Amino acid sequence: MAEVRLVDIEKKYGNFLAVPKQSLTIHDGEFLVLLGPSGCGKTTTMRMIAGLEDITSGDIMIKGERINDKPPKDRDIAMVFQNYGLYPHMTVRQNIEYPLKLRGMPKADRKDRVRETAEKVELDALLERRPSELSGGQRQRVALARAIVRTPSIFLMDEPLSNLDAKLRVTMRAELKHLHHELGVTTVYVTHDQMEAMTLANRVAVMREGKIVQLDTPKKIYAEPADLFVAGFIGSPSMNLIDGAVKDGVFRADGVEVPVDLADHDGVVLGIRPEELDITQDPGAAISGKLYALELTGESTLVTLRNGPSSVCARGHADFEADIDSPCHLAPKEGARIHLFDRATGERLL
Amino acid sequence: MKDRLLPYWLLIPAFIIVLATTIYPLAYSFITSFRAWDLTKSRRPEGFVGLDNYIYAASESQFLNSLWVTFIFVITSVILTVILAMALALLLRRKGPMHTFTRIILILPFAMSPALIGVSYRFMFNPEFGVIANGLGAVFPALQGVPWLADPQLAMGILVLTDVWHWTPYMTFMCLGGLASIPRETEEAARIDGASNLRIIFGIILPQMRGVILVMAVLKTIFALKMFDQVVTLTGGGPGTSTETLAYFIFNVGFRWFDMGYASALAWILTAIMMFISIWYVRMLLSERKMATA
Repeated sequence: MAEVRLVDIEKKYGNFLAVPKQSLTIHDGEFLVLLGPSGCGKTTTMRMIAGLEDITSGDIMIKGERINDKPPKDRDIAMVFQNYGLYPHMTVRQNIEYPLKLRGMPKADRKDRVRETAEKVELDALLERRPSELSGGQRQRVALARAIVRTPSIFLMDEPLSNLDAKLRVTMRAELKHLHHELGVTTVYVTHDQMEAMTLANRVAVMREGKIVQLDTPKKIYAEPADLFVAGFIGSPSMNLIDGAVKDGVFRADGVEVPVDLADHDGVVLGIRPEELDITQDPGAAISGKLYALELTGESTLVTLRNGPSSVCARGHADFEADIDSPCHLAPKEGARIHLFDRATGERLL
Repeated sequence: MKDRLLPYWLLIPAFIIVLATTIYPLAYSFITSFRAWDLTKSRRPEGFVGLDNYIYAASESQFLNSLWVTFIFVITSVILTVILAMALALLLRRKGPMHTFTRIILILPFAMSPALIGVSYRFMFNPEFGVIANGLGAVFPALQGVPWLADPQLAMGILVLTDVWHWTPYMTFMCLGGLASIPRETEEAARIDGASNLRIIFGIILPQMRGVILVMAVLKTIFALKMFDQVVTLTGGGPGTSTETLAYFIFNVGFRWFDMGYASALAWILTAIMMFISIWYVRMLLSERKMATA
């Protein structure tokens, strides 16, 4: 059982607190994604698990054993780096073989294992090439092969897809998902791309300023963001966040009037996802303004309307057409989830 | 039309200066190498002697000795400098105030004049009052009164030492530059894969430093081949001719024995050796660049 537990771990660089005290349990076989903007401490957290970064205080437990003082090689982990971390002077075969060689595996066994692994990631035809002769996607596959070849208990992946182009990223994402399904190895994955997090993870830990602000399934995080930061960070296009106030059971802002189940409250931010808004001709609709932009995405059209400083985006039918600056009205769909947050603290109110 | 020619007109002064200071002396010495010219008898080169100066060099024992001395000096100083520089760079590549401070003071030996280094070491290895000679004698009594610069092997050792001391800082900076270009991830990946520190150095870092090390070795070889200043001020080529490098021997032939024809031939032999190494160096640089962009 390869469960990873972080118990009150903290990381300081001099006086700078990079990761404040926090705990996290990653279950056996789970695909956990650490998600957050640049500088939020997600890579530092992963590097502490890997043993590449000392922890200032707290404990890291792998399979129930405290591994704080164990060097990286004794933690039974494999890591895939953002820049692949391949050995440029070695061929693909030598790159994949290297961890086995270091662990003293006999040559014949090594050969078989390298062949099997290369087949798994479709690299068998490229074994004699050097990394400089490979494309980005192929390099990433070599890095993956090197990680899986010695069947570690835990995979650590530090933004492994961020150097690939958008199309290749989608392909590799599916391959990673399939690989995890096939191997069932506990995986910790760091990314700032919420789409990657949503598609790959069993659970997502959203991080901000070193702290985990929400830890839950992708579905739950999308449906019930814990605070204003998570609400704005998850989703593409992101959730509409409208500044206003609640009075007499109605949220009010410029051109917006939405009935809500909340006591009077100033400084409220209303959140609603674009796909939960309908475009309507009704001038009395909850949200009104002028059409600001139309963006065809293929399967739908993103309709942005503006009223004063705030803009609201809705996902409409791909055939939707209207003139820019013409009056436009939006209404929450039947059963739409309306989120309310406190503007000052960011906390969820409803 | 005038505008098109203007750049060429503007280049003419620089061209004349280069011609006068480089091309003319080179051509003059090349022609002189095929002539007899005893400076004590004639102010101008005398008759053509064909390849006689070069043929004579091939059989003259003092020239062959200087070639051998130069060979020993180049090999030892290049190997020691490169190894020391690499080791120092590995120690100094981490960030920190002590590392930065050490990196700054490390440049001092390279800033010193080679002639001054020779004089300083001559004093420091003086058996009577030299600080190093006395220090070594105090720590190891067997070394008391050792005539450091009067022994052929020790004198060569000290000559190499001064050169290594002079060049190691610069080479260390070259190594630091090379190390900085190695992605941190390869080293970390090796650490996770299970490599020990020594294995990371020899199996991961050094292979990636191959290009830098080659460039360092070639550059150091070219400079070591020209070793002159420290020989003059430290050993004077002695004891006997045990530290008489090729550059120093050429100086002796030309300006002590005044045989300018022979000295010119010897200078061109040294130039040919250095040109051969330089061409190899350029070819290697080009192939490294090709590898880097592959």
